[in-house]
Amino acid sequence: MSTQLTLQAPLALPPAEVPSYLERLWSQELGSSHGAATFTLVVWEGSWLEQQLVRCGRLNGPITGLLNETVLEAARAAAISCGLPLSTAPMDPQLAWAIGKLGGDHHAEDLRGQFVEGAISAHMPRRLITLAPTLDGGHPLETLVAAYCPLPEEGSGGDACGDVVVLRGGTGALRQSLELVQPLISPDLPCWVWWNSSLDEAPEVMATLASGHRRLVVDSSLGDPRRCLDLLVDRIDAGQPINDLNWLRLRSWRESLAMVFDPPSRRDALNHVVQLDLDVEGSNPVKGLLLAAWLADRLGWHLISTYPVDGDGAGQGIGAEFERTDGETVRFRQMPVPVGVPKTHPGAMVGLRLICQSSQGSPLCVILCSESGGCMRLESGGMASMELAEEVVPLPNESEEMEMARLLSGGHDSTNPLLAAAAPLAAKLLP
Amino acid sequence: MGSVLTNPLRVGLRQERVIPPQCLVIFGASGDLTHRKLIPALFELFRQRRLPSEFAVLGCARRPWSDEEFRQKMAEAMASEVAEHRMAWEQFAAGLFYEPVDLQDPPTVVRLGQRLDMLDRQRATRGNRTFYLSVSPNFYGSGCRALAAAGLLSDPARSRVVIEKPFGRDYGSAQELNRVVQASAQENQIFRIDHYLGKETVQNILVLRFANTIFEPIWNRNYISSVQITAAETVGVEERAGYYESSGALRDMVQNHLTQMLALTTMEAPGRFDPESMRNEKAKVLQAARLANEDEPWKCCVRGQYGPGGSSTRPIAGYRQEPGVNPESTTETYVAMKLFINNWRWQGVPFYLRTGKRLPKRLSEVVLTFREAPVHLFDAASGAPTPNQLILRIQPDEGAEFKFEVKAPGSGMRSRPVDMAFSYDDSFGEPSDEGYVRLLADAMLGDPTLYTRSDEVEAAWRLYTPLLELIEDAPNQLPVYPYEARTWGPGAADSLLAEDGLAWRRP
Repeated sequence: MSTQLTLQAPLALPPAEVPSYLERLWSQELGSSHGAATFTLVVWEGSWLEQQLVRCGRLNGPITGLLNETVLEAARAAAISCGLPLSTAPMDPQLAWAIGKLGGDHHAEDLRGQFVEGAISAHMPRRLITLAPTLDGGHPLETLVAAYCPLPEEGSGGDACGDVVVLRGGTGALRQSLELVQPLISPDLPCWVWWNSSLDEAPEVMATLASGHRRLVVDSSLGDPRRCLDLLVDRIDAGQPINDLNWLRLRSWRESLAMVFDPPSRRDALNHVVQLDLDVEGSNPVKGLLLAAWLADRLGWHLISTYPVDGDGAGQGIGAEFERTDGETVRFRQMPVPVGVPKTHPGAMVGLRLICQSSQGSPLCVILCSESGGCMRLESGGMASMELAEEVVPLPNESEEMEMARLLSGGHDSTNPLLAAAAPLAAKLLP
Repeated sequence: MGSVLTNPLRVGLRQERVIPPQCLVIFGASGDLTHRKLIPALFELFRQRRLPSEFAVLGCARRPWSDEEFRQKMAEAMASEVAEHRMAWEQFAAGLFYEPVDLQDPPTVVRLGQRLDMLDRQRATRGNRTFYLSVSPNFYGSGCRALAAAGLLSDPARSRVVIEKPFGRDYGSAQELNRVVQASAQENQIFRIDHYLGKETVQNILVLRFANTIFEPIWNRNYISSVQITAAETVGVEERAGYYESSGALRDMVQNHLTQMLALTTMEAPGRFDPESMRNEKAKVLQAARLANEDEPWKCCVRGQYGPGGSSTRPIAGYRQEPGVNPESTTETYVAMKLFINNWRWQGVPFYLRTGKRLPKRLSEVVLTFREAPVHLFDAASGAPTPNQLILRIQPDEGAEFKFEVKAPGSGMRSRPVDMAFSYDDSFGEPSDEGYVRLLADAMLGDPTLYTRSDEVEAAWRLYTPLLELIEDAPNQLPVYPYEARTWGPGAADSLLAEDGLAWRRP
């Protein structure tokens, strides 16, 4: 579905006039309708990568907040210029930070919050609030408001319409604007808060926006791994719903591994796992740890110890020992591997190897390889005597906006139980 | 499918499409189907986390129940599931509501609209509504009219109506009902159920045919000599005598389930896998289907009725002895017939359909028998070479089997038949959703692929019209032959194939 613009050019208003303007909009201009009885979506749209690329002249504007191929190509080229490793993912926050050191003072129109992915607008959000922090920390607060009717007029009337509110300014100004934002979030409708930026920034803003039972959506590949995992655990422990796009992107890996063990004749092998090896791109371990934790939780393993492991120049890995339900040990290793063309997000999966050894029958070795990567490291190591099951895991090809649209289309007011079980264990796995 | 241990990695992992927020309105909510099938299916979807948090079920019927009474009655009907999943049930039941509605009484339908608006705001269901008509077939038309008159079907993107079978009693009534329903809503808002389409194995007919290269080139008159489609039940009429007496096997099973299996087996490949393309092809092939002898339809159809059977220690009552059945009843509990499909792909290939109650086994299958080799080079160990057969087992022991000849061990070159088998249990070991779970999910998703379209329904009725008219006007020409319960039907059904030098497959 193509991205859509708002129905009208947003109106710039002084922040204090926003509530009364919206009141007038609904009582007069939209036929006294209540608007779509759907949800509020609040987005923290950092877009630091895009802003920095524009500033240093490596990207033409406007700034939209959408991660398209043009932005990604510019990011990959910039990584080389900044002397970062080839395997630096475009969305790695350290890339935006490194580009920030490059010279340049270019500007472009900032349209964040005004481009709405069609898949999201199809769900008729009642209110879309975008907080767009600027590179200029001292930038004063600007507010923009517009009506938004994503559906054709047939049969829906004002009940399909919503409004868009954009708050743009330095992080400090946005922090102060939270008093303005909170009353705009209806308590009668579900509220999703999408933190579309690193989890390291503005934690107090996130905590305020995602308070109570608001449904927080984050990406645990963006930010310090410890902080990311702790955030997941804190929300889960507090009973506050959280969704993780990094976890959702593991969908095809979970499915591929489950498929290997669908034939009942292979089920018993799951009770005899002795070794689990994961390879991930770059140094961000979160995604791999979430996958390992999911598997451990599903098979009832108990974590005994975890420790750093020296890699072969690609960074530090993670080792751990688990105890199976029958008391036997499972050895776990997760290693960073360099790649020529990294995926968009840090820490993408490259490969998985699972070795199962029961007292009867030949051992089973399962190898899953990313569609775009090689598994030579995992394929080596003398497995000729084992039954080999090798699968290629298809690459997910959905943007963040599409993933978000999928969450909005049938979301829950609670955390997915699989994530709720895996995240705490993943946090413990991180040395 | 058989019961097997669940794959622990598969738990919670269903790659299913997400059902959007909506209100499911069930008319006839005080009836049997709701507490036996619909609410259990919805509860299963809820436990699988396939229902969003923004979801509501509004039960409607004439009885003056409250929300709480409705929840209580559903809990009582599902006592064992509720006891096993108490917490989940309490969360699920919080989304169950009730509104007394009489579809024949417009003010109550207007009140329904107001209640739905309130629920929309209360549960944030986004104005999405699915109306499920679990009512007597006599009220399908008037029910749709009432909903349309109250403006509840005016938004084609956010409202749909699900109609149970039977859709009409014959071609004329089906056409009339279609006219009424289509005057109330657009075709893409109308979901006519056929329960067989909800079965994994019925859907597998399509995947087998169109996801593999090897079958399509031989899936035609040049290679296939005949096709048998069987839906056999071991049970009798049970508690459905009231409905069955006026229906019979032809209306109850042949017009819908067997005809859908026929359509999926014989249709052309659609250009793409979208609902309309699929249904276009099904309608086309049904429009080309004909009774083998339309001028003398009694020559290509056999009707039967089960009589007493079983053993002295476990006797089985005959149909006429069943509670609620007229002791002089001439309703058929068994039908066998021969059809042709007059198109390039199937011209001249006989299709034999049979269905019956109180047969020896419960099974549904599609059996494609291939033409014999043009020259028999080898002696067959069994005397004569067995034709190749592809057997699609719909239920039980879901899967497929291919029979072909191989060399028998030993000196000499004799052939004997062997089976190459695929079993869902052995390959996946994962119990698939019970039919209503899948059908409800698809209706709430607005995916009509597993539902029948108006032209398909009318084509299916038109196909059997000569038989229905004969039964109505000259039943003596299509007599009901008795058969002993737990046998494979009347001998006359065997003669139907014997005339062509064939025999029914004995599964």
